[in-house]
Amino acid sequence: MIYSWTFVMVLFTAACFAGFLGALLGVGGGIIIVPAMILISHLPVKVAVAASLVSVIATSNAGGSSYVDQRISNLRLAMFLEMATTIGALSGSVLALYLQAWTMLLIFAALLAYMGYTSFTTRRLDDRRIAGGDFTRAKPDRLAAFLQLRGHYHDEAEDKQVQYVISGTGPGLAISYLAGVTSGLLGVGGGVLKVSAMNQSMNVPMKVAVGTSKLMIGVTAAVGAILFFFAGLIHFHVVAPVALGTTLGATLGTMVMNRLRSWLLKWLFAVLMIYLAYNMVAKALALRFHIVLPALGS
Amino acid sequence: MAKPIQPNPSADGLEQTEANVYAVVYHALVFGMYASSALFLVGMLLALFRHERVPLTSAWVRSQMQWHVFWPGLLHADPTAIMLLATVLLILTPISRVVFSIYAFAVDRDWPYVWVTGVVLGVIALTVVLARFGLQ
Repeated sequence: MIYSWTFVMVLFTAACFAGFLGALLGVGGGIIIVPAMILISHLPVKVAVAASLVSVIATSNAGGSSYVDQRISNLRLAMFLEMATTIGALSGSVLALYLQAWTMLLIFAALLAYMGYTSFTTRRLDDRRIAGGDFTRAKPDRLAAFLQLRGHYHDEAEDKQVQYVISGTGPGLAISYLAGVTSGLLGVGGGVLKVSAMNQSMNVPMKVAVGTSKLMIGVTAAVGAILFFFAGLIHFHVVAPVALGTTLGATLGTMVMNRLRSWLLKWLFAVLMIYLAYNMVAKALALRFHIVLPALGS
Repeated sequence: MAKPIQPNPSADGLEQTEANVYAVVYHALVFGMYASSALFLVGMLLALFRHERVPLTSAWVRSQMQWHVFWPGLLHADPTAIMLLATVLLILTPISRVVFSIYAFAVDRDWPYVWVTGVVLGVIALTVVLARFGLQ
């Protein structure tokens, strides 16, 4: 491969876009950057996946630091759920040794499609609950109360200080565990499930879920990246423009996110989840039945 | 920010703890972000001006990851060595933020969260050890 300005600029631009969208939605953006690297820059799949993993760390550092600074991320909640995601990622990589990839892909596709659908149908709910102050009214369970899981943030779109208490730690831990399993097993879809777990099961406002997930995905990706690093799959020349691009994109994204209405974020989020589910189904059908559906980079 | 008129002791303690942990996490992430970005930028520009032909194989990447290649490379401003260092810094940033938050929670005597964060760090360590020496 000749290291040219064109090669670098294409990767940088795609990474910028992925970083921006990832910061708005609290996800890594691998679903955008991996196809771009394979289809436009013609990189081998493993090199692309490894570079994407490192870019998830870059976007998490940039996005997470900004959301921590704006006090949108909830650090206690992040640490609490990271227990489940790291254990999930570990068991995911063990499960990968025993399970058929296509069955897992179909199961997770169903889960993602369901959560994408609920994100779409509940898209107006967050704005209504912020207006009505409903996020403070949930009853925290015993674990949430013991661990003082609650918080507040300033919503710029509504120009309002939003208080919230956290409940549903059981389902939240369970879905975060599954999020960890997906990232350990399939290398994708960790962020979307974390955001859904917080927003739909734990009474966490959408923006706090995005900010907290943005911070959390860095840890899971870092563990995966260490393994790729030792295997010699992280190609530093490819990683450089991708990391720089996602850092810039994520920084821009964090400046915009809090100004957007929650319904718009949830709507975008639903589109991303449904697309991710479709991509997984396409991959499963190709693996098991050799049926090729049009899908990017799978 | 205005102080609450009637601070209750536990709520006051919570704010204090959170301020420390938020500051520690923020600084760890920002340092990692700026340091690795600066190194990536320098390495990438050097590589671009040299018009290098880079093999896309893992064998070549691993050959660059030897100490006896890395140190002389770094001393002579070799782009690959600089970008390798940037990658390592980047990967270690989220993990260092977990380590530093254990410290911040411990300073604030927030023991439940010292445990929670300790479990996270333990699982990370276990995963890396298993992957390097056990699974594969």
